[in-house]
Amino acid sequence: MKQDAAFNQQPIGFLKSLTLFILFLTTFLFAFENRIELPVWLQITGRLHPLLLHVPIGIIVLTALLLLLRAQFKSKQFVLLMTYLLLFITLSAAFTAFFGLLLAIGGDYGADTLQQHKVSGLILAWLSYGVLWFYQSSSEIIALKHGSIVLLLGVVVFVGHTGAGLTHGENFIWEPLQTTEPNLDPETVSLYQLAVVPVLEKKCFSCHNEKKSKGKLIMAVVEKFKQGGESGAAFIPGHPDSSRMIQFIHLPLKHDDHMPPDGKPQLTQPEILLLQAWIKSGADFDKKLGAYAPDDTLVLLAMQNTSFTKVAPAYTFKAASADVIEKMNTPFRTVFPLHVNSPALKAEFFVKDYFEIKALEELRQIEEQLVSLSLSKMPVTDADLNLLSRFSNLEVLNLNSTLINGSGLGNLTSCKNLKSISLSGTQVTTGSLITILTLPQLKTVYIWNTAIDAVGKAELEKAYPHITFVHNLFTDESTLALSKPILVNEGILKATDKIELKHTMPGVTIRYTVDGTQPDSVSGMLYEEPITIVETVKLKAIACKPGWYCSSLFESSIYPEGYKPLQTELLAPADKQYRGEGSTSLTDGRKGFVDIFKEPAWLGFRNNNFEAGFDFGNKPPAINKVVLSYGDNLGAYIFPPTEVQVWGGNSKDKLKLLMTQKFSEPKGYRTPYMSFITVNWETSNHTYYKIIAKPISKLPLWHGGKGQKGWFFVDEVFFY
Amino acid sequence: MSKEFIDHRNHVTRRHFLGKLSLGIGSAALGSLLIPDLFSKSESPLASLGLPHFAPKAKRIIYLFQNGAPSQLESFDYKPMLNKMAGEELPASIRMGQRLTGMTSGQSKFPLVGSYFKFNQYGNSGTWVSELFPNIAKVVHDICFIKTMHTEAINHDPALTFMQTGAQQGNRPSMGSWLSYGLGSENKNLPAFCVLLSRGRGNGQGVYSKLWTNGFLDSVHQGVQFSSSEERVLYLKDPEGRDRADRRNMLDQLSQLNDLNHKEFGDPEIQARVQQYEMAYRMQTAVPELTDLSKEPDNIIKMYGADCLVPGTYAANCLLARKLSEAGVRFVQLYHQGWDQHGNMVGEMPLQAQDTDRSTAALIMDLKQRGLLDETLVIWGTEFGRTNYCQGDLSKENYGRDHHPRCYTIWMAGGGVKAGTTYGETDEFGYNIVRDPVHVNDFHATVLNLMGMNHEQLTYKHLGRYYRLTDVAGNVVPGLIA
Repeated sequence: MKQDAAFNQQPIGFLKSLTLFILFLTTFLFAFENRIELPVWLQITGRLHPLLLHVPIGIIVLTALLLLLRAQFKSKQFVLLMTYLLLFITLSAAFTAFFGLLLAIGGDYGADTLQQHKVSGLILAWLSYGVLWFYQSSSEIIALKHGSIVLLLGVVVFVGHTGAGLTHGENFIWEPLQTTEPNLDPETVSLYQLAVVPVLEKKCFSCHNEKKSKGKLIMAVVEKFKQGGESGAAFIPGHPDSSRMIQFIHLPLKHDDHMPPDGKPQLTQPEILLLQAWIKSGADFDKKLGAYAPDDTLVLLAMQNTSFTKVAPAYTFKAASADVIEKMNTPFRTVFPLHVNSPALKAEFFVKDYFEIKALEELRQIEEQLVSLSLSKMPVTDADLNLLSRFSNLEVLNLNSTLINGSGLGNLTSCKNLKSISLSGTQVTTGSLITILTLPQLKTVYIWNTAIDAVGKAELEKAYPHITFVHNLFTDESTLALSKPILVNEGILKATDKIELKHTMPGVTIRYTVDGTQPDSVSGMLYEEPITIVETVKLKAIACKPGWYCSSLFESSIYPEGYKPLQTELLAPADKQYRGEGSTSLTDGRKGFVDIFKEPAWLGFRNNNFEAGFDFGNKPPAINKVVLSYGDNLGAYIFPPTEVQVWGGNSKDKLKLLMTQKFSEPKGYRTPYMSFITVNWETSNHTYYKIIAKPISKLPLWHGGKGQKGWFFVDEVFFY
Repeated sequence: MSKEFIDHRNHVTRRHFLGKLSLGIGSAALGSLLIPDLFSKSESPLASLGLPHFAPKAKRIIYLFQNGAPSQLESFDYKPMLNKMAGEELPASIRMGQRLTGMTSGQSKFPLVGSYFKFNQYGNSGTWVSELFPNIAKVVHDICFIKTMHTEAINHDPALTFMQTGAQQGNRPSMGSWLSYGLGSENKNLPAFCVLLSRGRGNGQGVYSKLWTNGFLDSVHQGVQFSSSEERVLYLKDPEGRDRADRRNMLDQLSQLNDLNHKEFGDPEIQARVQQYEMAYRMQTAVPELTDLSKEPDNIIKMYGADCLVPGTYAANCLLARKLSEAGVRFVQLYHQGWDQHGNMVGEMPLQAQDTDRSTAALIMDLKQRGLLDETLVIWGTEFGRTNYCQGDLSKENYGRDHHPRCYTIWMAGGGVKAGTTYGETDEFGYNIVRDPVHVNDFHATVLNLMGMNHEQLTYKHLGRYYRLTDVAGNVVPGLIA
């Protein structure tokens, strides 16, 4: 009894008394729970319950385990150890029960489980006190004493389980094993049950159920979910952005109101989108999955989040394996499903130069799944069509511009599902076509540009009234004008180059002149081969073809290359807005465009004359002609010059006037065009030439800018 | 001594290290059993998008963009009231103080003006079409008109950018890029998104490459601009003096080098580059096949008009668009400039109509006779409408119209739209919408729907949020879908 005396000394005796005090207090509070109003600081104390509860559990388990090791201890020491442990159990169990009761009073927990937890927790606390008392008693039945500790272990497991049920949901432990196969019948199951509930179950119901309704919100019961919680409705049908639950989801994670709270499993992006879409579409709890349109956002999101795959099967055959489909795809053959999760496949062939009949044969691997096939423009012959006979589910077939004449179409009679066939641009005849017109599903046949004419089409329509035959839709008998011929090498010709003309339409004749006269369908030169020229010409050309009006006139100035000066300089500056690339713009061989004068090919002059010097060096060629290429765009104040002077000599300082030429001003507006001026003089061998061109100083009276200064734009100067 | 110590330490450390390492690897291996996709190759982004979401009505789009805003009042939205009240002031009850552009806000008067051009009814539906579009009038039974488009911007650039990318500011992916991102390419030998430009004869507005940008999407989704010259795709020809065999040889050698490099560094970009070279090589065959017009029957040339033989014209682009689309290009985008008639409506509108009417109608007929119209969505669209009042001087002979974002007309044909119908109605002044408005976002949502995609699901995460073509708005318009 010596140990007992020691055990009952301070502070141990005090702890026992404290425990008893707490136990009575807790029992008292439990009895009058409904009348209690808890001060805030006590509420905080209550929240220590989830922390403290692990202490008695831990010590009880430890104590029970020590029973197994009792042979390792001296008997007296073991009794003393057990007594101390039981004391700690009793003390911590009492405080845990007390704090737990405070938490229960302040919290929102469901009724049944909570009551079980409260009662069992209180029993555990009293029981542990009882076991301590029994253990210290003089009873000699050791087995009974140890048995009572095992009983304690059993009770704590029960209490712990009811408590965990409160925080994690009642089905917390067994849930992962309960994978009930969901009912996926779109006619009987609501989309809410099928797609929304699984998300809420995982992420929301554990705190918002009938047992534990945080914020007084119960989501697990439809009627209560609709009512909302203590701060109002959880959602406003049709308005996800104003719905509280969506707003809380989007709060920053650390925010107090963020849902689910920090530390709990968070909603994934697709889950959030699903909840939003469900609220946006009216938060309907009963609407059956089948009642939604298949392209509805909500349905698509639901399909992403749950395991069901399709709303209504359009095809009953099995899908081909992903590996097979992947292998089918080459740069020249594309095979893909009609849409996600559809077993039906479409195959298309591209680039006729790379077509191999083997590629068509390989489609056998997907013969059941193929519903649409395009061989448009591929070099497929009638003999190849027997490969198509195996495609029993084929609905759409495109054979446009293939090499068939129809004799192989009979192979398609086994394609019982064929709805539409395109044969435009082939040699198919009425006789060969009728072999497939009895196919039961056939609705549309495209026979434009085939051997079947309008009469043939009318006969077919009469014989097969349920089929639409699409023939030539365009019946305009009016005559049209051809487009102009195209000049292949526009601008400046090198010495060896020739003028090349062409037209993109087959069977066109081109007639041209270089002497300024107008060509027409009979006059002018017939273009047969590229044209050689020796001097600057104005080329005029037209294109003609029987059954068409001749094209309008094509006009272009063509410049042979000429002699190149060694050096070029501007003796008077170009306008600062239109400096081009300085003097090099004049001899760089780059032509300007008549509507883009900002281009560096152009030099523009208004306030002073164009004045440029050209140095031909020590061995000057014999020159008798200069050609100035300039822009004519009267509306933009851009005029031909009024006068051009050519000066020549053997040094820059000693020049004499070789030729002056004056030009009359235009009489009215005309279409902008590229023009040129030719100035001739007696052949000379000067080393240096100076060219002066004077812009018009006063625009004529008929012009919108009458009296103002005009512009002179030059892009190139040629010497011959 | 210290050396022995170090040796000893090293020795033990290595053993320890390897011993611990095996333990670590063992635990990582065990852990990886629980993370099935940790070491497997990542899924392609498209597979995770799950596209198309549902059975598409259309597989390809040809978008004929009429740049500059053709007047709805001179084309498809017939308003005889404006002719009756010509010259009278726009009633304040109609204008309701709505904003105007800086170009007419200074005008002291807003005189109403009716169409100079006559309207007639066509087709079973009795659709009113202006005399300027006699050929489009012949195919109204294939067309679904939307009279009640409306937009948020009032000037060309933001409105155009909004219509094409779903945002006014630019740098968002354009419609074609979203399509390419969502559906990929049908024909691996051609770009999925091609852009064709043409200039008209009327007052023009610019088009910029931001209208066919991939924005934040992968650059393979960028629109490829075709040249107006005869060589429609630049840099595709072999250099002078080199033939296909040389090219093949060069690519084979190069790919061997690249393979070596790939073995050493394992960078997937190297393989991607090899693929690009191979695609360009295949394009060398695929593109000339497309641009060769000599195989087109005379009847086709006549149908599109002789201009279709001149590269760079709208007619040539329509014909090329048909050929590209026929060859599986997802999105062919045309831009035709010159529709900005602030003045000289009477002079310019007929020229613009002449350049586009015949080939537009021809494109629809051509697709139809090949059985392609059912799976090709043709869109005739623009950025906004024009005012019912006159901008500048109003005379019996001529007038102009300013920008009008409150209502405008576009139309669609083929690919699952309600053919031969008109959707929505504007008031008798052609100023406000009376019923069934269609916002630009709604239009985008509907087009994506026709292509088998849900506009709220076609997303791309960028700068921390999910972007869509319709951004945060837009509703599919069921009334447009057959």
